[in-house]
Amino acid sequence: MTAKAPAVMIESASKWYGEVIGLNDVSLAIDGGVTGVLGPNGAGKSTLFKLLLGRLKPSQGTVRLFGTDPWESTSPFRRVGYVSETEPLYEWMTGLDFLMTMARLHGMTRDEARERAEHVLEFVGLSDVRYKEVGKYSKGMRQRVKIAHALVHDPDLIILDEPLHGCDPLARTSIMSVIRELGNRGKTVIVSSHILEEIERITEQIVILNNGRLLALGNLHAIRGLLDKHPHRILLETESPRDLAKELITRKPIYGVRFPEEGFLEIQTGDLSAAHEILPSAIIESGIRVTAVENPDDNLDSLLGYLVGGE
Amino acid sequence: MDVQGRDLSETVWTRLDRKAGAVIELTIRQLRHKISTWVVLALGTMLMILLLAFYIDSVREGFESIDNDGDSVDQDRDGYPLGQERKYGTSDWNGEEYPGSGTYIYEGEIDWNDENREISGNKTWEGVSLLDATWIDIDYKGGQWDYVIDWDDVADCPDTRGELFVDWIPDFASACELEDGTYATNGKFNAEGNITVPRDYYLTYGYVTGIFDVPKDPKEMYIDEDDIDWDGSAGSQGVDDDGDCLRTDWFAQLDGSDEYMWWEEPHRPDANGNGIQCDVIWVINSQTGEVISISADSSVDEDPVDENYAGEASHRTFVIATGKIAFVLLLGLFLPLFLSLGLVRDETERGTLHYLLSKPIHRGEFILYRVLGYMGVVSVFVLALSLVMGLITSIIGPGESLLRVGDLPVWFGIAIATILVLAAYGSLFNTVGLLLPKYGVYLCIVIGVWEFAMGFTTLISPSSSIATLSVSHWGLQLIDSIVMVSWPDTLQFSQMSSAFGLQTGLEWIWSPPVHTLNSSNAYLGILTSVIMLMGVSLSMIGIGSAVFSKREIM
Repeated sequence: MTAKAPAVMIESASKWYGEVIGLNDVSLAIDGGVTGVLGPNGAGKSTLFKLLLGRLKPSQGTVRLFGTDPWESTSPFRRVGYVSETEPLYEWMTGLDFLMTMARLHGMTRDEARERAEHVLEFVGLSDVRYKEVGKYSKGMRQRVKIAHALVHDPDLIILDEPLHGCDPLARTSIMSVIRELGNRGKTVIVSSHILEEIERITEQIVILNNGRLLALGNLHAIRGLLDKHPHRILLETESPRDLAKELITRKPIYGVRFPEEGFLEIQTGDLSAAHEILPSAIIESGIRVTAVENPDDNLDSLLGYLVGGE
Repeated sequence: MDVQGRDLSETVWTRLDRKAGAVIELTIRQLRHKISTWVVLALGTMLMILLLAFYIDSVREGFESIDNDGDSVDQDRDGYPLGQERKYGTSDWNGEEYPGSGTYIYEGEIDWNDENREISGNKTWEGVSLLDATWIDIDYKGGQWDYVIDWDDVADCPDTRGELFVDWIPDFASACELEDGTYATNGKFNAEGNITVPRDYYLTYGYVTGIFDVPKDPKEMYIDEDDIDWDGSAGSQGVDDDGDCLRTDWFAQLDGSDEYMWWEEPHRPDANGNGIQCDVIWVINSQTGEVISISADSSVDEDPVDENYAGEASHRTFVIATGKIAFVLLLGLFLPLFLSLGLVRDETERGTLHYLLSKPIHRGEFILYRVLGYMGVVSVFVLALSLVMGLITSIIGPGESLLRVGDLPVWFGIAIATILVLAAYGSLFNTVGLLLPKYGVYLCIVIGVWEFAMGFTTLISPSSSIATLSVSHWGLQLIDSIVMVSWPDTLQFSQMSSAFGLQTGLEWIWSPPVHTLNSSNAYLGILTSVIMLMGVSLSMIGIGSAVFSKREIM
């Protein structure tokens, strides 16, 4: 029974802190693959994770990890790895030491722990600094050693809370590839972020939370497709926005222009993909120099705005 | 299924073991990386070094023999100590009077109003008299302050001054010869013959001991010369080792007139009034073997061998006081205040708690393992510290043997009592830290003050009932019980200290355990104390676990 139970099963779970609602009637099942949990700060991502980790008790509804209530029992944690958003580590420990200690907390012997620790350090690319104190690690290395600690007992479910937060691009790339690799190995991975672009580079399977509510659940492209059919803005930076406007206003999916400020042209469209298809050729034909193209609406805020049913 | 089930349970247990080991080891390593740990351990060590310095400087010095009855002094600096001068009946205020110096010994007197005013014999006389001598010692010199008659300078008594002994008498320290060959004297002299004391005049007489050579006794002979002689049973005990009560072998017996100079102790050979001269009555409770009272005749067992009594008792006082005040009260309170209050709380504050809570370890167990980790650190420290203290004081302490082996169980007991107290406070403070993360430290300080107050209440009044509401009370009673088991004669030392005036502090710092289920049995004292201390520890860990298990962690 338990073996077949999904990694994460949440049924109409709500959590409120006094008057404040943390999570409102969320139902969710996640099993296999990488799932992105998207939402602005305060959307309920952390509350969701704390419920999953048994640190909070749901006010209503049920939370199950591999079929077991994590508030009542710690047994599912042997199959769960958790990377917290918080920064602190045991600064005085070496990377290897830290991982071995964490492995032993899972009940491994010293030898097993050492073998597993060496293995995951290799996997996250920290083998060469394993004898260095964690306190001397760079931001990206710290993030990776935290991920390694969540993998040291070879869990089936890995929960990462904002793993890319504050990392430089290089660290981001390597962490993203680690996460994708985990997904490829058949683990259930849950990654949270408040940046759409980050999630997009990792996975297509997303959960969107806002104000404690579950807004959307499913394939990111499908959700985006919905968004594409919606009025959308494209911002062009150019020396002569008015000339360019004349050229573009007649083209098919574009139905409006605006000049938000000097040197910028904003065009409005009902079909973002189609607009992007015609834009390059139209610009070349016009012969006007365009220095930048931005999609101000292609972010989480506008996605949320759309999903909530605003603009 | 059965086989699988058993395999599973085995795995669960061994894994649990490993997890416990991992949490405990992590806790120990974390404490090792905290500066406050080292500061408080260093302060504890410094306290012990100070105490050892005090021990070496003052307590150990005090083991030098004390002249408890004060008869080794030599006030007149004639080289003969008071004890020897007493024995020979000479004065220790007169340097010219010493054993063998030929001292005048009083025998009797003819008073102003005595009827019979005639006496004869060969004596030393002093006073106004009419002497009809058959022999006069013209070489007699007397003592420094005596008015000795100079017989080389005796003239005929003048007949121009009126009637002898009525109108005049010879000058002080002189005599004159009458026409009939008798002498009128005023002063001290040695002679044989008939003496007539004129009415209204006064004469004392006695004899002068022969001048002979008495070797000077060393001062040390009069120190520790009358040890306490007690075979442990009740009744008449005690031996007047130096003979100053029985006065055997004394060269000068007092006249028995019961007259004493103001500086002399009255000689009361049966002060306790049991009809036996020069003994000590020991009253003992036949059931418990406890000494109820000790009453001694004067000058019996009055100068005990300090090495055996004061030295031993002071040493024990030091060990017990160190165990009670330094170990149980100071280390017992300050180590947990610094090391256990933050066992879980600090982890929450630092934000590293999730590393431990996202593991398959029950939170209740987690509390237990954290406390065990803390116990690992403080136990090793306390055991090492008590071992070092025990070894050093056992080597330099009083006694014949190289090492006072009998001390080691006491030190071990002190370590165990301290560890149990540390466990109780540790789990108490940890639970307080859990319940009140922000203000727990203040509550802990209040608890600490209470524990100190109750600790000292227990020291002053061991049977105080309010003090039973404290951990320190049970820790102190545990030491009392262990001392009673390891040094069963401590009670006698304590009572002898008070009976024979040995100032050791033992009766203040130690008393038999009170809570022994009315049995006065030290083992039951150990049992009740251990149960109470363990009870506090376990219930506090239980409360802490229960609270922590049901707590939502943001």
